[in-house]
Amino acid sequence: MAAAADSSGDGGTSSGEKTIVLVSSDNSARFEVREAAALLSQTVRRMIDEAGADASGDGITLPDVDAKTLAKVLEYCNKHAPASSSSSAAEAAPPAEGEEDLERFDREFVRVDMGTLYSLVTAASYLKIEGLLNLTCQTIADMIKGKTPEQIRKTLGITSEFTPEEEDEVRRENAWAF
Amino acid sequence: MSFRSLIQDMRDEFGSISRHSLRSRSHRSAGNASRAAAAGPSEAMDQSCWSQLPPELLREVLVRIEASESWWPARKDVVSCAGVCRTWRGIMKEAVRVPEVSGKLTFPISLKQPGPRDGTLKCFIRRNRTTQTYYLYIGLTEALADDGKFLLAARKCRKPTCTDYLISLDKVDMSKGSSTYIGKLRSNFLGTKFTVYDAHPPYDGAVVSKSHSARVVGLNQVSPRVPAGNYPVSHISYELNVLGSRGPRRMNCVMDSIPASAVEEGGKAPTQTEFPLSSLDSFPSILFFRSKSARIDSSTSQSSSSDRLVLKNKSPRWHEQLQCWCLNFCGRVTVASVKNFQLVASDDNGPGNQENDKVILQFGKIGKDLFTMDYRYPISAFQAFAICLSSFDTKIACE
Repeated sequence: MAAAADSSGDGGTSSGEKTIVLVSSDNSARFEVREAAALLSQTVRRMIDEAGADASGDGITLPDVDAKTLAKVLEYCNKHAPASSSSSAAEAAPPAEGEEDLERFDREFVRVDMGTLYSLVTAASYLKIEGLLNLTCQTIADMIKGKTPEQIRKTLGITSEFTPEEEDEVRRENAWAF
Repeated sequence: MSFRSLIQDMRDEFGSISRHSLRSRSHRSAGNASRAAAAGPSEAMDQSCWSQLPPELLREVLVRIEASESWWPARKDVVSCAGVCRTWRGIMKEAVRVPEVSGKLTFPISLKQPGPRDGTLKCFIRRNRTTQTYYLYIGLTEALADDGKFLLAARKCRKPTCTDYLISLDKVDMSKGSSTYIGKLRSNFLGTKFTVYDAHPPYDGAVVSKSHSARVVGLNQVSPRVPAGNYPVSHISYELNVLGSRGPRRMNCVMDSIPASAVEEGGKAPTQTEFPLSSLDSFPSILFFRSKSARIDSSTSQSSSSDRLVLKNKSPRWHEQLQCWCLNFCGRVTVASVKNFQLVASDDNGPGNQENDKVILQFGKIGKDLFTMDYRYPISAFQAFAICLSSFDTKIACE
């Protein structure tokens, strides 16, 4: 949560590293994060470029991400952010943590209910955070594997809307495949 | 415009549309999620949002599944996803490439599509002598035969003047009226000539073979229903060679549905993309085949086979020391049998003897009632299976 940093987006940590303030959609929460973490989001990166070094000084509002989701997303970004915060090298620089440690973190990170997972994958897509998008999509894929069509529909609350002929074809396909 | 580029265009369109609506959509669902966080997540609400997952995100998930579940038995997950709902089906069907390109079998229709251009699909056939049934499987591993993934079954039906092998997607139900029936092999009385019939039109302009008349299925004709017809797709004949029954027999397969140009540089073979949805009561469905074949003469007479692909068996070499006829089966055939063969595309005039020719279909014995079948472009698993069945049945040069 936003601490005692000044309201301008260009805050600083005690180590003097640049920080960015991100604001959730309902304006209910402000998060001050290291620039390196925030720039994992291509969307944030673009917004900063367009706004010109955060001219408004009020932090960057993300209209499509609510507070709870943003908090969780930033948990990911903070963990995966590179050690150096030089913006151009942010993607290429290795993260500060070790790889095994990250894998363990990722596994735990996606142990959430379906609603949260949904919010995460859509947020990752909107914010264009490649690693998080990969992680969430893969998690959903793993959840789907091994299930029959009916089980998938039940898990995700989807209705099929097939015509009777299409249903027959699907049934035949699955009878043959399983 | 090819079908694939049409889908790509639609996808690009869709992508830009949903980017606009993503804001409102995810805002709404984000709103839901935050309300849920306050009230405690309810499962029903969690579930309903998934049907609103933007298509490009759904695609991200589905292509991961398609890429990782590349072989059987895991490949069934791809089929499962394609059976969830219309949207999933559309995305998955577009993500799956035809066997010709991918070397993978996915949906039942894959069995009617040409095999891979690179490499072969290694299958095996189990024979049950008691029930006169044959089962085609694709291997799960590099072993000659293993548990396999079931592909097709065929049952022999003897009739007064001929014999039929009915081919089906179902191990048990092989009746012609069933939706799993996909074609048959018919042999003449002497067991020297065979015709392979497809239950569905192999390409636009295919001729339906009825007992006394021929009816052409039009290019864009909307059929009131799709009959499980008899569309001849190949003619196979067996002959003794000059040494009589002491030598290997000669096989000749005219592939009526495949142009000779298919095996040339840049050639293409007809590829079915859907089983026609057939229902006596349904509204007419438009037959849609991605037929890339050259215009094919609609008559099925064997005399006009000059523009059709002809396959002949590679002549074995006489091995003086071993005193037997030999073909190089590359380890895939281990028991000598007159049934064993390798088919290559033949020149119009010459015998199928060129060493450089790719073997399009290879069949041979590996055990009692167990045979391998390796096939590749331009023939399909269905056609390959039917040709192999003829090798079981023919009376020419039997041991």
